[in-house]
Formats: sequence, structure tokens, C-alpha cells
Amino acid sequence: MVQIKINGIELDVPKGTTVLEAAEKAGITIPTLCYHKDLSPYGGCRLCIVEVKGGRVPMTSCTLPVENGMEVQTETETLHKSRRTILELLLSTYYDSGYAQKDEHPNELEHWAKAYGLDMKAFMAEKPRYEINSDPNPFVWVDLNKCILCGRCVRACAEVQGRFVWGLSERGYEARIVAGLDEPMLEARCESCGACVAYCPTGALDNKMSVGLGAPDKVVRTTCSYCGVGCQFDLNVKDGKIIRVTSTPEGPVNGMRLCVKGRYGYDYVHHPDRLTQPMVREYLLKGETRKDKKNRGEWVAVEWETALNIVANKLNQIRSESGADSIGVLTSAKCTNEENYLMNKFARQVLGTNNIDHCARLCHASTVAGLAIAYGSGAMSNTMQDIVENAKAIFVTGSNTTEQHPVFGTMIRQAVLKRGVKLIIADPRRIDLVDFATLHLQQKPGTDIALLNGIMNIILEKGWADEQFIAERTEGFDEFKANLQNYPPEKVAEITGVPIEKLYQAAEIMGTCKPMAAFWAMGITQHIVGVQNVLTLANLQMLLGNMGVPGGGVNPLRGQNNVQGACDMGGLPNVYPGYQPVTSDAAREKFETAWGVPLSPKPGMTVTEMIPAAAEGKIRALYILGENPVMTDPDVNHVRHCLEELEFLVLQEIFPSETSVYADVLLPGVSFAEKEGTFTNTERRIQHVRKAVEPVGQARPDWEIISDLARRVITLGGRKPSSAPQAGWQYASPAEIMDEVASVTPSYAGVSFERLDRGENLHWPVKGYDHPGTPILHIGQFTRGKGLFSPTTDVPPAEKPDTEFPMLMNTGRVIYHWHGGEMTRRAKGLLEVYPKPLIELNPEDALRIGINGNRRVRVTSRRGSIVSEAWVTDRVPEGMVYANFHFPEANANELTIAALDPIAKIPEFKITAVKVELADE
Amino acid sequence: MSVETKSSNKVLEAVTAAIEKYGAKQEELIPILNEVNRQLGYIPTEAMEEISRRLKEPKSSLFGVASFYHMLSTKPRGRHVIQFCESAPCHVVGGREVFEALKEELGLEPNETTPDGKWTLITTSCLGVCSVGPVIVIDDDIYGNVDARKVPEILARYE
Repeated sequence: MVQIKINGIELDVPKGTTVLEAAEKAGITIPTLCYHKDLSPYGGCRLCIVEVKGGRVPMTSCTLPVENGMEVQTETETLHKSRRTILELLLSTYYDSGYAQKDEHPNELEHWAKAYGLDMKAFMAEKPRYEINSDPNPFVWVDLNKCILCGRCVRACAEVQGRFVWGLSERGYEARIVAGLDEPMLEARCESCGACVAYCPTGALDNKMSVGLGAPDKVVRTTCSYCGVGCQFDLNVKDGKIIRVTSTPEGPVNGMRLCVKGRYGYDYVHHPDRLTQPMVREYLLKGETRKDKKNRGEWVAVEWETALNIVANKLNQIRSESGADSIGVLTSAKCTNEENYLMNKFARQVLGTNNIDHCARLCHASTVAGLAIAYGSGAMSNTMQDIVENAKAIFVTGSNTTEQHPVFGTMIRQAVLKRGVKLIIADPRRIDLVDFATLHLQQKPGTDIALLNGIMNIILEKGWADEQFIAERTEGFDEFKANLQNYPPEKVAEITGVPIEKLYQAAEIMGTCKPMAAFWAMGITQHIVGVQNVLTLANLQMLLGNMGVPGGGVNPLRGQNNVQGACDMGGLPNVYPGYQPVTSDAAREKFETAWGVPLSPKPGMTVTEMIPAAAEGKIRALYILGENPVMTDPDVNHVRHCLEELEFLVLQEIFPSETSVYADVLLPGVSFAEKEGTFTNTERRIQHVRKAVEPVGQARPDWEIISDLARRVITLGGRKPSSAPQAGWQYASPAEIMDEVASVTPSYAGVSFERLDRGENLHWPVKGYDHPGTPILHIGQFTRGKGLFSPTTDVPPAEKPDTEFPMLMNTGRVIYHWHGGEMTRRAKGLLEVYPKPLIELNPEDALRIGINGNRRVRVTSRRGSIVSEAWVTDRVPEGMVYANFHFPEANANELTIAALDPIAKIPEFKITAVKVELADE
Repeated sequence: MSVETKSSNKVLEAVTAAIEKYGAKQEELIPILNEVNRQLGYIPTEAMEEISRRLKEPKSSLFGVASFYHMLSTKPRGRHVIQFCESAPCHVVGGREVFEALKEELGLEPNETTPDGKWTLITTSCLGVCSVGPVIVIDDDIYGNVDARKVPEILARYE
């Protein structure tokens, strides 16, 4: 500790503290402009100068480390004069046209100028020097007249986002910030995350969508509705509308970080397309049966009473005619835990079927199944913060992290930049993160098992395995080891296309930089060998002894904001909430007692089974909450056919989606901004979602709709629950639903809204109200006891290139859009930046095909064909195209194959044999 | 303006040569930029893109360096570049008159290029040869003890 005296106050502070930080601790405010606690000190604005006894001149306290015996004065007449002069000089090149005055944007320059008795108007420049709003970026407003060259944007872009878009150019009076080579921000590789705006002290950089909209009436802290990272931010609300999103240092996962979708993708909430009234097809009102399979007839807007009664009667009728298993329920990873719990209860208690599933089937079903086999629990084992702070190496495979989990992507970049973490990427594509990687293994698609087995073979050979861990905490090692002998480096190089020396390099980094955290996403899971891929990764982390330790673990990055929660809440056909199997007598009896009805012991159908079953008449009705299978399921041509055949489809949505064409009843739910509840993020962290605006039109919070519908079906009397403790459906609030969840779900036993509102960080399992939660899983012991090694064998993909379809198509998302695009295609700025689907094509292939000026290509598989613009780029290797599923006009899922993993029933989205030709038009 | 912009091939050649000469290291950024500037007369955007890629140096910091030094230019210049020292030692020994003569002779203001693309006039800070001020530098040639009357004669030496 170092002893210093500031303004006569004696302080003990740790070595390395700056005078500014020490003063802050003592409650003394020193004026600053270029300083921000998240950024490296710069000492550029000179406002934070202090006098140090014995010092020749005043010094900048933000860059001055404390020394023993230092005596500091922060407020003297000299300092006051100097600061006033500094502010005068800053104002002499500052010009505020006043357009944002009523926004009440915090302006730190104005604040200090006033504090030092300066009249802004009198001291600022006489006229502007730069064009106002000078950059075409749809999100970031640039007004260099208000720039004071503090460099916070430059440092934020480098040190928070890791993108290095902003720099300082010229010198003296001409000095100004520039993007890249003095070009539009987007051309300077800007991702439009808005960090520069968030850190700007004057509003020179501002949120373009919000400039001039005024000050908020209220500010509501909530959780983002896009990806599984679970960022928190403040919705600024005025006159019942969201006018801007602001980041807060208090965001438990993200701090001030946000991505472009989180910060700027909110306007879909108020989009005119929103469903505002329940709608039913005319034939239902007339009490007729549907005449035409292909055309369900006219929509008629009705009252809730009418719509819900039609749905309740129809479901009741179908159940009495064909049994509960002829009805399927798709719950939603975009909705809250409370709503997912209710959907699970609706299917199992009210209808009496286990036919409930959701989009996790399409993303991490293989992870859940694989990790359950290996460890007994199928979720991310460590937290994001733990990994970026403690991992020595990070292995990312099949995850385009900086685009799909952008905020976590920035944290990985910073771990590399600041801590020198070794980053290994195994991905057939040259994704952005490769720029930060120590090693890029560009394996051929579908060869993950061979690649990892080959690396593990070398790890064993070199003696880098953690023998103690293997002996004490695992079983099945000998069989696993014997199997690795089938993967010598030469053979692995041949199968994967990864050179032998890179296999050795990977093994060396993994073997010598422990702990290593392993990350994966759809590139691993969306294969017919998805479960085997996951088992192989589980093997790797056991072999290296990286489980149950800080900085290690298996870390599947979950896609949707609440896909973890939807799984946790029993939105799966084989388990009740908390992964209690429907086949376990004990679990079933527990829920029968809680819900007061006999329950089905038979696991239900998956989404990939329910939809085809509709075409066969085995499923007669579907109740879909917030999913859009016509965009997101494989082989959508077949999906459309199945939905045409389906007798009755109820869709609860916020927009008329592509699936609504096939719906018989549309129930208007609400967005995340219009309701209360919780989301569980990718690292099992349960977070509060708070209502910021009223539901649009007659739309109702989804938990209310489900409850109302449940009560109506129960009243019809086909299946009346006894008066069991949790049998009822009268919920006053989502908090009450969470209390019910806690009472039947051991891993959520200690979760309550009250604890969340107290600011507790709860990662499940939370075993009781006095249990602090479990940030790291598998410490000391795996959930299943010993970790199980499983020998895995590489299997070729379901569809391989041949002479007719010689190329491979890989699918996924892009940073600016979200899944089926229902939300992001209705966010103006996002659509402006990425307005149409692009098909990534390698320059060599482009040359071979003879791509011309209009760059239109046709991609055809055995199931369909799409035409769109090619983006010629070396992100994809030769022989591969990459397409997304954001746009109905060229949806990759027209082409994908519904070949399923035999255990997880996940489709092989990632590999489709295609041909690519020039398109005529 | 008839100032010539450089073709892609020439740009790539110049960048490759400069990087080969100094090595693809961030600390060699200024010599590399200087070399490219010398070869091409300025540093085209394409050259900066390429240097940024090869040195793994962000475009923004590269532009910061290129725009900071007056000896470097990010815009095309004339065939001959006249650098006039505007620092105090040259100023007090008659620099101002020399500068006026240059401007009049060429019909240029600082940072401008003649319509025929022959001359570009820029100002620079001290060139370190104050003992022989006023000083001008044309391309790589240094002229000391310049006075206003000598200006036409000096300029006449260049094609």
C-alpha cells in the first residue's frame, strides 16, 4: 500500500493506483474529459491537472501513479485558472449548432465549462468548420464541430470493441478524428456497435436514430432480446415509445459494450406490421371446415374471446377424436422462462402430450444430448467473464463469435490483445476472428471428429494429457485411447485438409497452455454427427483436465436470448423443467402431484418430427409460439407442404411471419419491451426482463395468453386437474410463475424476481434461496459422477459433392440480421446496412463461373434453388458457398437437407451439395 | 487537373518494394510510407490498404501517420514538390520574401498543384539546415541562402 495525502486527507491506496483514482476513492472529484475508467489513460485534455508538493509544474492526475508520501492539491487558484484557460481553448474550436439541446444528452464539456463559470455561447467558435452529420452510417451521427479530440472514441474502438476504426489525423488546428483512411465508417470496417458514441463526452458522435427526439420520460433497465450473451441496457422511453438504447457500466455481462443489433435494432418493436388484434380465418367463424388445402381463406379480425374460444374448442375436439399426441406445441426461445414453463405445462398438463419442442432442436440439441452423455449436464460450464480473465488459451470451433455473439466476440479480442491469450480457430471459413488467432485450422466441412481425434492423438503421444484428472475423474479412457490410434497425423491431414505441422502446433498450444476454454456453436452441432462432435469436444477437455476449473470448460454458445431457458423450462419432448426425464417414474409422479393430472410417460416428438408428421396426418394441430419454421427449418419447401396439409395451426406472434400464411388463428403476443419475465443466457445466468412500454393495440403478454387459453381448455372438461398445489392457471404476475418454477425445478429452486432485483448474479443450479448459484459447473465432480470418455468415429456427411452438385453450401447468419429476419428486416438501419441476402463465394470459384457485373448467381440443391447476389470473398474456401436464412427471397433453407442426427434429431444444416451458376437476370 | 493517379500495378510494385526493403514490421511504417511516397509522388489509398493488410496495422493509425507528416501526401502531387521551410530561423532571414516569390512565380497557394501538373507547393517545418536559411527543398535537392531573385533561376532547372 502507498500512503498519500490529497487535499490534506490521508489515504492508503494500492500501488499502481493513479492520483485520479485515489482522489475518487476519497470522494474528491477532479474534472476530466479525455479520461474514462474503462479506457487507458491518455492525459490529453489536461483538465485533470493537480499540484504535487515539490513538483515543478501541475501534472495530469489520470496518468500520475501514486508515490509514498505524495502530497497533492486538486483545487488551488492556479489550477482553477489553468483549467479555465484549458476549457476556453477547447471551446475556441468547438461549435454546437444546438440541434440536440432538448435531448439533454450529457455533455461533459458543457458541464465543466459551466462549473468554471464560462458562458458556452460566448467562448465557442464563431462558426462551424465541418459538415454536420458527415458520415452516411445509419446509426452513428458525426458532428466534428463538437469534437474536442479527447480520443475516447479512438480508444473505445480499439480497447472495447477491438475494431480500430477511429484514428486521429492531421495536426494542430487541422487535427480531427477520421474513420480508416478518411472514408465512410462502414468502409473502415465499422461494425456500428456504437461504443464510440457511448464514450463520447460531447455528442460529437451521437445515435443518429435518436438525435432531436428529446429526453426520455423514463429509463428501464432490461435484457437484450437478440442473442444468448444476455447484455443488459437501458431502454429510453418517451411518450410510450423507445427513443434510444443506452449502455450502462452496470450491465453484469457486457458493461458498456453492445452490438449493432442490441443498440440500434429496437425499432421493430414499434413497426407498423405488428399484429395488434387476434385474427381467425373466415371459415372458422362460419363454423365450416377448411375447403382448400393451399388456401386457408380470408383473415377476420376478432376479439380475444372469440379467437381463444375457437382455439380451445378446436384443440379439445382434436384431442377427444385422435388423442393428445395428435397435437404438437412449439414453444419459443425468444420468450421468457415463465412463458416457456407455461407452454410446457400447457402441453403436458392441459393437453396431456409430451409433444413440445422448440428451435433448440435446430441449434444445440446435439450439445444437450452429447454433454448429458459425457458429463450429465448439457450447458456451458464456465462464465464468459471467467474465461476472458483466466483462460490461457481459447479454442473456438464452428462459432463465428464476433458476428453471432458480438459482445462476447469483443471480449475474446480483448483477451488476445491485453492478455496475450492463445486463440485457435478451427473453421472452414476465414471468419473475422482469424485476424486475432494464433492458429487457424481450416478443416474441410464435416471432418471435425477426425481433426480433434488427430490432435488428441498427438497430445497423448507428447505426454500433454492430464493423467491425474483422467485417473480420478473419468471413465472409459482405455477404449477412447485405443480408438485414437486410428487417427495418425498423416491420415488426419488427408481427411481434414489441415497440414500435419498445424496439427502439431494446435496440440502443443492446447497441451501447454492450460487452462484452455473450448467454444463451439452450430458448426459443430448442425451435422448428422452433431452428438459425436460434441462428445469429441467433451473428450478433449477431459483429456486436458480442463473441466471444473476457472478459465476452462466446455462452452457451447447458445444462439437465442433464451434458448437456454426454453430448454431449462421443459420446452423439450423428453424432459420436464430442470431436465427431469418424462420417463422417470419419480419425476413423473412429482409433476403429477404438482399439476394434479396423470402425465404421459412417452417422450414426445421433436420439431423435426412433428412437422413431417403433419403431412402424414399424425399431427392434426400445432400451437406455435414465436417461431417461424417456414424460414428456419431445413428444406422449407417440404415444410410448406407439411403445413398446408396440417389441419389446424395456431400461431402466437408479433408479426405476420412467413409461417402465418399457413395459420388458422393468429394471436398477437408482445415483444420483450412490453412484458416482465426472465431470460437465461448462454452461461446459465438468469436475468430480469422489464416492461418498458405498453403492448401495442390489443396485443397481450404471452404468459397471459397462454394462461387464458389453458383455463378455457380446462373448462371444456376433457381433462380436469384435481386441486393440486400447482394445478391452477391464475397467475397475477410472472414473478408468481417463477415461484412455481422454483418449487418444481431443483436447478431453479432459489430463483426469484426479488433476488434478481437485489442485483444478485444467479447462474443455475441455484439450489435454494440461500444458495449463491453455480458460475462454474463440474468442480470436483461431474453431474453424472465420473466423466465418460466416448470413442468417436468420423462419418462422411449425408450429402457429398458429386458431378451434378459439385460444391458445398454452408449456412448461417450475419452480424446485422437475426435468424428468420422477422425482427431485423423491420429494423430500418439494419436493413439499410444489409438490405439483401449475399452469397459468399471464393474468388477462384467466381472466376471459374465467370461472375460478371451484376454478380447474380443461382445456387441449386436437390431440393430447391435460390438466386441472389454473390459476395466474392476469401472468407469462404474454394468449393464452398455460404448463404444465410434471413431473407425469404433467397433463403438458404430452400436448399438444406433434413438429414438428422440419430440421437439429437438435429438437421445437417451445415452441409448441402449444391451447384452454383450465373443467373440470367 | 492533369495530376496522374497511379495504376494498381505500379502501386502494388511500389508497396512490395518498400516492404521488402524495410521488412513487414510496424516500427518500419514511416520509412515504408516515405519510400512509397518517393516512388509514386504520393501514397494512394490502394497503397495504404495494402500496407495495412501486410503490416497488420489498422488503416486508421496508418492514415494518422500519413496525414501527420508534411513530407508525406495522401493526395496526388505535381511532378516536382517544393517544400518551403516556414520555421522561425528561415523566416527571420528573409524567408517570407522567398515564399512570396515562389507563390507569385508558380501562381500557387500552399498545398496546391499547377494545372499542368508540374509543381506542388507545400510548407514544412524546420529542415535542420538553419545555418543556410532561407531554405527550400525541391524533390531531393536542398537549396540554401535562397533569395527572392534566385527563385526563377532555380525553378528553371526542372523539366
